[in-house]
Amino acid sequence: MRTEENNGVPGEDIRIGVYVCMCGGNISDVIDVDRVAAAVGEIAGVTLAKVHPFMCSDPGQQTITEDIKTQKLNRVVVASCSPFLHELTFRTAVGRGGLNPYLYEHVNIREQGSWSHKDDPDGATIKAIRLIAAAIGKLRYAEPLEQIQISNFRRALVIGGGIAGMRSAVDLGKRGIEVLLVEKEPSLGGWVKEWEEIYPTGGKGAELIRRLNEELERLNEVTVLKGVRVSDLSGFVGNYNVTLENAGAGDEAELREVLGNAPYRAQAGAIIVAAGFEPYKPRAGEFGYESFPGVVTLPEFIEGLSEMQIHPEGRIFWRGRTVGSVAFIHCVGSRQIEGVHEKQDDGKINDYCSRTCCTAIVRNAALIRERFPGVHVYDFYQDIRTYGRGHEEIYTSAANTGVTFLRYHGEQPPVVEKGADGALLVRCNDRLTFGEEIEAAVDMVVLGVGMTPGAVGKVSEVLKLPVGADRFLQEVHPKLRPVEVSVNGVFLAGTAQGPMNIEEAFSAAGAAAAKASILLNNSTVQLDPFKANVDDESCIGCERCLSECVYTGALVMKEAKGTDGSTCRKAVVNPGLCVGCGACVAVCPTRAIYVNGWTLSQYEAMVDGLLNAPREGARIENA
Amino acid sequence: MSETQGQRVNGHIRERFDTLVVGGGIAGLESALDLAEQGYRVLVVEKEASIGGKMIALSKVFPTLDCSSCITTPKMSAVAHHENIEIATHTSVTAIEENAGTHRVELVRRPTYVDEDLCIGCSLCEEACPIEYPDPFEEGLGSIRAIAVPFTNAIPQKAVLNPEYCIACGACAKVCPTDAVKFDQEQLIYHVDADSVIIASGFTLNSVYLKPQYNAAMSRNTITPMQLERLLAPHGPYGRVLRPSDGKVPDSIAFVLCAGSRDQSIGVPYCSRVCCMYSIKQAILLSGAVPLADITIYYMDIRAFGKGHEQFYKNAQAMGINFVNGKVARIDNIENNDMSLRIENLETGQVEENRHDLVVLAQGIIPQPVKPDGLNAVAGDDGFVERPEIHRPAWTGMEGVFVAGVAAGPKDIVDSIMDAGAAAAEASGFLSRREEKGKMFF
Repeated sequence: MRTEENNGVPGEDIRIGVYVCMCGGNISDVIDVDRVAAAVGEIAGVTLAKVHPFMCSDPGQQTITEDIKTQKLNRVVVASCSPFLHELTFRTAVGRGGLNPYLYEHVNIREQGSWSHKDDPDGATIKAIRLIAAAIGKLRYAEPLEQIQISNFRRALVIGGGIAGMRSAVDLGKRGIEVLLVEKEPSLGGWVKEWEEIYPTGGKGAELIRRLNEELERLNEVTVLKGVRVSDLSGFVGNYNVTLENAGAGDEAELREVLGNAPYRAQAGAIIVAAGFEPYKPRAGEFGYESFPGVVTLPEFIEGLSEMQIHPEGRIFWRGRTVGSVAFIHCVGSRQIEGVHEKQDDGKINDYCSRTCCTAIVRNAALIRERFPGVHVYDFYQDIRTYGRGHEEIYTSAANTGVTFLRYHGEQPPVVEKGADGALLVRCNDRLTFGEEIEAAVDMVVLGVGMTPGAVGKVSEVLKLPVGADRFLQEVHPKLRPVEVSVNGVFLAGTAQGPMNIEEAFSAAGAAAAKASILLNNSTVQLDPFKANVDDESCIGCERCLSECVYTGALVMKEAKGTDGSTCRKAVVNPGLCVGCGACVAVCPTRAIYVNGWTLSQYEAMVDGLLNAPREGARIENA
Repeated sequence: MSETQGQRVNGHIRERFDTLVVGGGIAGLESALDLAEQGYRVLVVEKEASIGGKMIALSKVFPTLDCSSCITTPKMSAVAHHENIEIATHTSVTAIEENAGTHRVELVRRPTYVDEDLCIGCSLCEEACPIEYPDPFEEGLGSIRAIAVPFTNAIPQKAVLNPEYCIACGACAKVCPTDAVKFDQEQLIYHVDADSVIIASGFTLNSVYLKPQYNAAMSRNTITPMQLERLLAPHGPYGRVLRPSDGKVPDSIAFVLCAGSRDQSIGVPYCSRVCCMYSIKQAILLSGAVPLADITIYYMDIRAFGKGHEQFYKNAQAMGINFVNGKVARIDNIENNDMSLRIENLETGQVEENRHDLVVLAQGIIPQPVKPDGLNAVAGDDGFVERPEIHRPAWTGMEGVFVAGVAAGPKDIVDSIMDAGAAAAEASGFLSRREEKGKMFF
């Protein structure tokens, strides 16, 4: 039934409870919450208006549930923080009180009130009253809504077969959830399989991958497809459709066996993005890279470690060269400073810390001293960030093996030049000797390059995955919801999200698996009801809404039988794809389309509320 | 009791759970929710009177500057109201014994001298109580009555009587509308079975008195970071930032980093991982709270390694916070209750004596001394829970026993949450396979 037709006060007696939160001073230090409660308490339909120090606390929520029962409230408003934080909290509390959870309005008087108008307490107080009055207006026309249930294909697609993707797949498989793990390279294990030694536990990367592989192979739930990439993707939470293509190294016979004939298609309810990282590639000439032989990146150095032979006098013999001294430079491609470092191709600088390089560098510095005692090792750093468990010990051991540390200032990075005798000269103003200019002549320079995001490709493009200023995929909340993204049903695992070491990538992958398990635990997915709705009788099939909708597939035209038996075309909404943005509502010439919970009469009531809000009990003149 | 109060009475706790979570801090809560949402039955055991851990007492979090209690309370509340989760507060796990594929867990509930079934959290007892003592939630800066609900947003909202301060005058019992005060309540020892265990016992901080050369014992204005968190919280003990000795608004504040970490002499050689960032955060918050104050951070290395952290550090520098490279050698208490910090400034090579009127010592993170019988095998040399397999960072090496958060080494909130998710994933995998006897999976 269209709400438009219910224009006017609904039949039942409206009894609204308004709760104004002090947020422990975050709100009440600026906004006069008692004045707000007194003012909105005057509005018709408001049964009670209360103030509480922390509405989100258990006692705060209990006040709501008890008032619903004892005061017979049938609508609730909480004026507190951003709805991002607590709309769901209070909706749930309202539900616990026995009321339809969508007969609730959340008003933000903190981020959009006390925090943004610190210098104008009176104005912030009036604004709070007006915003609450608008919510009350909206609630007058609110109707009970139900969550939308859609089917859920209980399989996870894991994109990326590095350590994070492998860990997520193992965790989900053990949980009994079907997994399709796809990797574009011909083998699993990503960067880690190449690594000579992993810290802090020691052991080879390849050994770690072998053990993960063993776990994967024991799981019937997990299907691994190597040498393939995602070529297309569509759908929504619970119902993603993916098309895979051979990335060159794929086994066509295996693909056909698993997915049938080409095009290779598969369904999944959840997607875990474990696309990993790319080591920063220095520009030609950056610290002498590609200009002087002997300047290598840390991954190149690590790759070469197994070929390095010991030369008499304890030096390194590698690729026809004898190396008697090595300089490591930290923060190459990380912690860059505007005006000091050249911009990247996209016009940005990499101002973030890559987190893993310090420990990797000091470990490799120590490794050289242990294996090749005749080699002098210099370590040029800004700050040594050996933060992890067992990492400080690695730093100490590097110092104990005789690595010479030199500390440069971020604004004056070291300079690498070619000396007259062919040696590489590394110069910096050393902060450890109070700014003395020091020059080290070395045979090899190892650049401690940071991490940049790996290519996510089609998935990111189709799903419009959010990306942060650092170009890594961005989570919903960097503190509390680190593996979820704003796209429902998609989770992040590992370094696609930001630099991490092996241990951290494993943890992140486990966390992503846990969230995917929760989603895939049920055969249906519940969605909020705030989706577009079409009134078939009023729809004239003009398709204007279609041209306005940017979410592919959210609105489609379907053939329908008219009342006179003729066929006509009507707009149909796919609730899985509709985000409830309302763009279609604005262009509909017959008001046939509306968003549940956000009807046009509710908007009108909100505007009326804003303009006619009482001020300390009296109506605002000349508002 | 009301259905919605979150805490079932211990006597009513069911006897069998899929998972026991030891610790109701942010890691424990996240693990519990991740499992409960998949339908597993979880018992969260918390030794304090409220869940919420350290995070609920923080002012804001780095680098988002979200109000900490605002983002912790929804988790606490979600746990308290979850149909698959039960909470036992004021309770310690004293033994965990593996027994025929499950774990027999011994729990000791220390008396609160208030019947949780009867208490309605009305606070009348608190108002009637004549005794006040330094409030542990406010890190001793404010005061609390000898019988009180522990703090505003505590869960459960039940009064707790502190027998160390109570004079047994009976004033609380007289006003209690439900006769909930029970002076004769005794400790309760009981047992539950849990198929899997997640240790999320968190951390504590080492003492600021460990380094005698910092003379913290003789200075009221040399404070701990947690004390500063409370001073910065809008609902904190003074409602504003004042120094403890005389209530003066501080105008020269020093942060001493690595005051309890990266220091062999006090037995904490490792990095505590969060101090750089919380000190920068506190410095940023202070420049808003006391805009005229000079703020100096004395450091060895600034370890701003997490997502968004380097940018946060740069913002702090741009705001005029003074970063001085050098480890503070000693702190002398001088006239006016001020402190003089002796430091070799590594930028200049000069030995300096700098005067400050408020000093914050970044204490080291050490493991919470939780050692239930039967779990001794899992502690490493540093006291944190050991994890023998790098590719299974949540596994302790004991069948069905996992670890989450700072119990396995210092880390910040987001890393604890990732860990908690990984522990939940391991536990759910273990629980899914528990029926498959003889098919050893690990």
